[in-house]
Amino acid sequence: MLRLNLQKPVFHRQFNIQRRSFLTAAALTLGSFIVGRDARLADAMDRGDLHNKNDDVQTLKKEEQERRLKILRDTRPMKPRYDGHVPLYPHERVILFVVSGLKSYFHPEDGDNIVQLGEASAFTFFLNNLKEVMLSDKVGRQILREQPNITSESIHMDDLKEMAPNTLGYTYYKWLKKEGVSPDTRAPVSYIDDPIHAYIFKRYRQCHDFYHAINDLPIIIEGEIAVKALEAANIGVPMAALGALLAPLRLKPVQRRRLYDIYLPWAVKTGLSCKPLINVYWEKILDKDVEELRKELGITPPPDLRAVRKERAKQRQQFKLKYESYEKS
Amino acid sequence: MPLRLISLAVVRASRPFVRTLKTAATPKLTDVLIIGGGPAGLTLAAAIKTSPYLSGLSTTLVDASDLTNKVASFYKSPPTHFTNRVISLTPQSKKFLEQTVGVRLMEDRIQPFDGIYVTDGCSNGTLEMERESMGYMVEISNIQSSALNRIEELKPSNLEIIDQTKVVSIEHSETDNLNSWPIVHLSNGDSYKTRLLVGCDGFNSPVRKFSNIESRGWLYNRFGVVATMKLEYAPFKIRGWQRFLPTGPIAHLPMPGDSATLVWSTTEPLSRLLVSLDSKQFTMLVNAAFVLEDADMQYYYKELEKGTITTEELFKDISFRTEQVYSQLDSESMIDEIYPPTVSSVEDASRARFPLKLSHADSYVAERIALVGDAAHTTHPLAGQGLNMGQGDVESLLRALENASNRGLDIGSLLALEPYWADRFPTNNMLLGVVDKLHKLYSTDFGPVVAMRTLGLNVVNNLGPLKEMMMGKVSGPSS
Repeated sequence: MLRLNLQKPVFHRQFNIQRRSFLTAAALTLGSFIVGRDARLADAMDRGDLHNKNDDVQTLKKEEQERRLKILRDTRPMKPRYDGHVPLYPHERVILFVVSGLKSYFHPEDGDNIVQLGEASAFTFFLNNLKEVMLSDKVGRQILREQPNITSESIHMDDLKEMAPNTLGYTYYKWLKKEGVSPDTRAPVSYIDDPIHAYIFKRYRQCHDFYHAINDLPIIIEGEIAVKALEAANIGVPMAALGALLAPLRLKPVQRRRLYDIYLPWAVKTGLSCKPLINVYWEKILDKDVEELRKELGITPPPDLRAVRKERAKQRQQFKLKYESYEKS
Repeated sequence: MPLRLISLAVVRASRPFVRTLKTAATPKLTDVLIIGGGPAGLTLAAAIKTSPYLSGLSTTLVDASDLTNKVASFYKSPPTHFTNRVISLTPQSKKFLEQTVGVRLMEDRIQPFDGIYVTDGCSNGTLEMERESMGYMVEISNIQSSALNRIEELKPSNLEIIDQTKVVSIEHSETDNLNSWPIVHLSNGDSYKTRLLVGCDGFNSPVRKFSNIESRGWLYNRFGVVATMKLEYAPFKIRGWQRFLPTGPIAHLPMPGDSATLVWSTTEPLSRLLVSLDSKQFTMLVNAAFVLEDADMQYYYKELEKGTITTEELFKDISFRTEQVYSQLDSESMIDEIYPPTVSSVEDASRARFPLKLSHADSYVAERIALVGDAAHTTHPLAGQGLNMGQGDVESLLRALENASNRGLDIGSLLALEPYWADRFPTNNMLLGVVDKLHKLYSTDFGPVVAMRTLGLNVVNNLGPLKEMMMGKVSGPSS
């Protein structure tokens, strides 16, 4: 019995080695047929990427692209209702919401995540509400009628520079310069189905910088959170509310304290008490006195965030120097 | 004995008063005295005179308005325009009027309609009811004058119509005896002693007050604004349109040719505004109310109230918003499908408003007394049931009187009248309740309620048998 047991493995090993080498060779040959150099060359020839270049390649490529776009269009729940509209199925909307939500939490600095989360959370009831707010106001109706677009084409930086220093236009210009952004940095809307709702959401997005400018809040994360809270309280944007609630969790304790003590209470109070900011035709009142406008809207700007931070940095520096000199002596 | 003495003393004390009345006129005797010459009263009079069992009863009808000249002349020389008091007559009511009572309505002033399109002003809830000759839009004057014409044709010997006369007071002929014949004193000095007193005298019914029957209900704090409208073109599909705005339903109902009639229930201040507006502005608002959103309407009300919007601006704003809403439709042909035909003008003198209320009398009958129509119940006009309930009352009362007469009962006795009340009260109570709940359900714009009622309306719209049953309740079983 024992001997038999010893002999068997030897036989097996030999057989295994033989079989393995055969299989490997077969797999290699087969693989080289499919992904090998020759096969790749043949593919490239076929596509016309190699010698014997085909004149029609560009048209073919275009056709291929068209075909794929058509397939994409045909598989959407409805025909696009405005330029750049991408209709989503309900389950896709849920996935977009979850994924962009998680991505926004871990990478809030990436604008695309926030943009997607904004649209995924722009529920119809909120947009209807916002539309109602606009329809109830003369200026809001005017905005809906004219559907203006804030870009560097409609607002010329050179004109803003020439304006008197107390005007809204100059304040806006000063803020854009200070933060190094331009009016063009707003993404188009693509996932909202109703064209009017899509416009309203785009308008909200484009006016975002004005909310910063009129309150002189920077685009660093604390400033963004404060503006988001203001938007949540005033306009009721769900994404802004999510941002204002969840984003502070990621901050350093000192930043968080600053937010909870100063900026969030200010934002909520101002947002609830001031006039609906969506009904302000910003580009029509660029030459208005900014103080007068603030009074009209019922806004008092918060303490300068950059100055507060600078102040704290200076204090820390002083403490550090004191501490170091104490250590030395 | 002591009781007798007291009653004598009472009579003696009030003798001077009684004597003046008595000397003015000894009460004339009549079998049926109908107070009120509205559609219910006139139909009842014509029905009694038509009925082979009842035509022998001497009947008297009293009304405050000018029935014999003004109302009757409507039949002989009808006005070119349509009057503003228009109601929807159900096939049952029309059948009763024409076949049982023998009234020939002025057919060229009646518009049959083949359905009604109901929408929710706060959502996309829709109910599309379709049925051939679902109902008939008829002017109230048409019913009144046609009934008068019928009475004239019958030439009854023992029917007396006393118009331009008011009821001064009603009393029992024997003070303590509720079963005694009531005596009605009229403003022309006459008085009538009647076997049966029928109150067709409307919401503030003097007969009901005399009978001590309690009427319960509440004001809706809403007013109905009515108007006669001219359309841009005669509709291809003839149906009624109703939209439930949070302030109350607005209904656009067809009349012959390019005419239509409006019933717009709204709050008291808004009804005042609507009636006082320039007729051009009013026309625009009517068109807007069926297409635009509540926020738009609220904005227009606000601006018009403050006077900060000109007719021109209003026109521009409404046309822009209407275009915007139209552009969201799948195709242009949908416009005629889901929105009523455009109103081009409103007859200025035809605009009027009246308060809406719910009321229901505890009983419709007492010894020698019957209440019919608005005297017994009033309702919100949203289901177009008010006049039809009155016609149903007349039909039922007529049957009860015929039975009583056949059986040799005293037609004024409670025994004779009670079947009428037993027949009508549950039906009317159900209709009043449903209409009341509908009014309450639709007078809010609270999100969850709107969502639920929209779901409900759309479910009903897609469930054929349920819809059929509802139509049956409103306009009678399908023919």
